[in-house]
Amino acid sequence: MAKLLDKQRYKCALGAMQSVQAIQRALPILHSGPGCAQKLCESVGSSGYFSPNIFPCTSVNEKDVVFGGVKKLDSTIENALKVIDADLYVVLTGCIPEIVGDDSEEVVSRFADSRKPVIYAPTAGFKGNNYKGHEQVIDAIVNQYLKKTDKKQKGLVNIWADVPYQDLFWLGNIREIEKLVSELGLIPNTIFGYQRGIGQINKIPEAEFNLLISPWVGVSSMKNMERKLGIPFLHYKTLPIGATETSRFLRTVGEYAGVDKEITEEVIRKKEDYYYYLIERYADIFLENRVINKQFTVVSDAQYVLGITKFLVNDLGLIPAKQFVVDDTPNKYREEIKEEFKNLNYGIKADVSFETDGYKIHEEIKNHDYHGYPLVLGGYYEKEVTEKLKGNFLNISYPVQDKVVLDNFYAGYAGGIRLIEDIYTVAVSRFN
Amino acid sequence: MSEIRQIAIYGKGGIGKSTTTQNLTAGLVEHGKKVMVVGCDPKADSTRLLLGGLAQKTVLDTIREEGEDIELDRIMKEGFGGTKCVESGGPEPGVGCAGRGIITSINMLENLGAYTDELDYVFYDVLGDVVCGGFAMPIREGKAKEIYIVASGEMMALYAANNISKGIQRYARTGGVRLGGIICNSRNVDRELDLLRAFAKELGTKLLYFVPRDNIVQHAEINKKTVIEYKPESHQAQEYRNLAQAVIDNKDFVIPTPMTQERLEEILMEYGMMELADDYKI
Repeated sequence: MAKLLDKQRYKCALGAMQSVQAIQRALPILHSGPGCAQKLCESVGSSGYFSPNIFPCTSVNEKDVVFGGVKKLDSTIENALKVIDADLYVVLTGCIPEIVGDDSEEVVSRFADSRKPVIYAPTAGFKGNNYKGHEQVIDAIVNQYLKKTDKKQKGLVNIWADVPYQDLFWLGNIREIEKLVSELGLIPNTIFGYQRGIGQINKIPEAEFNLLISPWVGVSSMKNMERKLGIPFLHYKTLPIGATETSRFLRTVGEYAGVDKEITEEVIRKKEDYYYYLIERYADIFLENRVINKQFTVVSDAQYVLGITKFLVNDLGLIPAKQFVVDDTPNKYREEIKEEFKNLNYGIKADVSFETDGYKIHEEIKNHDYHGYPLVLGGYYEKEVTEKLKGNFLNISYPVQDKVVLDNFYAGYAGGIRLIEDIYTVAVSRFN
Repeated sequence: MSEIRQIAIYGKGGIGKSTTTQNLTAGLVEHGKKVMVVGCDPKADSTRLLLGGLAQKTVLDTIREEGEDIELDRIMKEGFGGTKCVESGGPEPGVGCAGRGIITSINMLENLGAYTDELDYVFYDVLGDVVCGGFAMPIREGKAKEIYIVASGEMMALYAANNISKGIQRYARTGGVRLGGIICNSRNVDRELDLLRAFAKELGTKLLYFVPRDNIVQHAEINKKTVIEYKPESHQAQEYRNLAQAVIDNKDFVIPTPMTQERLEEILMEYGMMELADDYKI
């Protein structure tokens, strides 16, 4: 029977055009219907070098369906190369050409000798959501552009985290993680955001290892790079937010990379000192609010549900109610992600549900006894239900409607402080 | 004015759908019927015998070269006895979506007013198996309500016929499409008539007509003619006239009851086919 999916929090795989957009001077070339791009692009935080409004698109129509759209794709790529000055052209296919069976890969291969690289990522919407599409883009870069090399740069580490634009805090988060990693004496290499582009992509094969910070997004791409480029990877499942997790993160990365323990501990000591100095000064506010917000729920993709749950339990001592992962996590990753929620401080375990249906999530929130006002961190969809329960609400993930985020972030020690500020700003405002 | 009888002809590839449809059409024309034949096969060879050659420019070729703003006479040609002949055509082999092509061309025929009241019969000659939704277009709501499956006593032909029946059953549940019967285009297989009768019965339908094998059909094809035009006095021409009469008189339209693979094999076994053809594999 057909099901109604209420309040979906992701887009289709073609949404990967935002991952391409996040690479400076990389241009998506869309082989899709004209509506797909229009629907998938977002005006918030766009532009950079290219605005989605100028992404070349084949705008396939009925004729292209019947006769195949390869000629149109060929001419679209050819003309994009002529009129748009980019460093990397990424052809992304939508559902229509993939169903019809257009051999887009063959068309793209005709441009192997062009002066700029042209690659192809199959991102038909029916293949999955934009988290999967993001992986397809990384795989396309690795498989079609990069070459394995013996030349390695000491200390160079490629860092991968969650999906640009889908995660509103992506830019700030990845910059903060870069900073933390570089404090260990390592050289971070990332390909998304300001001043990150083809130069950084070219350096990927020279890295000593890949560092993936995500519960599941990118795992398959890391394995692919291990095979194709011979780069081993460290998979750190939890987005480190706050002191407990960030210190654990630095120790794990330091140990994996062979960083002198004393250096790691010195970095941690300095960061923690400042972190706890800040927290101590506001301890009374946190304590007072404990009476109000005893239990919390996070409704978000796996990275934030896991990262924030650990932070709120381990750093702030809050009690988790049920947590909801809404990114349609593939089944094969679910068990190991669930395990992470059993691994909280003070012997606390969090119940977690992989649920994409907003209606069901809201019903569960409404029916749960939070022993006071609930604290709900989620998408904008959760605002109304939280308000009805007189709870405190913070919009931390897709869709974000009530804040402007330029480069704010929740990752690391500083990110933990930002999240505390945001949560308790909401908490203290209710009495004003 | 009676309603146009819209008829779709399905069957395994190479079974003789186009040959049977065109000879049947010629038979109907002799009965004074007005007929349109719509070829729904990218090979565009469904009207060759009526037109005296592959003279037809297909709907899709025309759309490709001239756009969609075309007149009906660009895509419809008059053939033997005033039959109206249309070829849907398709993309080049290996590219595009032929199924969508059929949908596009039938929509175009409707928009251009090809279905005039003077018509008595419209035949859709559909390629091979019903591989995707596009090839089921002729039996969707408002199109063909009658279907005939062309088959022979060969196992693969019956397997395909059973498979096609599954598609018909699906559309019959919600729409008015019904199976009118099986037309046997004989391959001179042992006990073919009995087998086809038993097969048709199992499907809940009947063997509408048994067209015997005769080399004159091939001779007529080489001469780009239907048998009725090529040798009107021949025995085979009379067979096709009889087939036309059987279609005219047919009143039994059913929702088929397709059988399981096991049951199909049982029937084949019963009529001695399995022992004869041990190497048959699906």
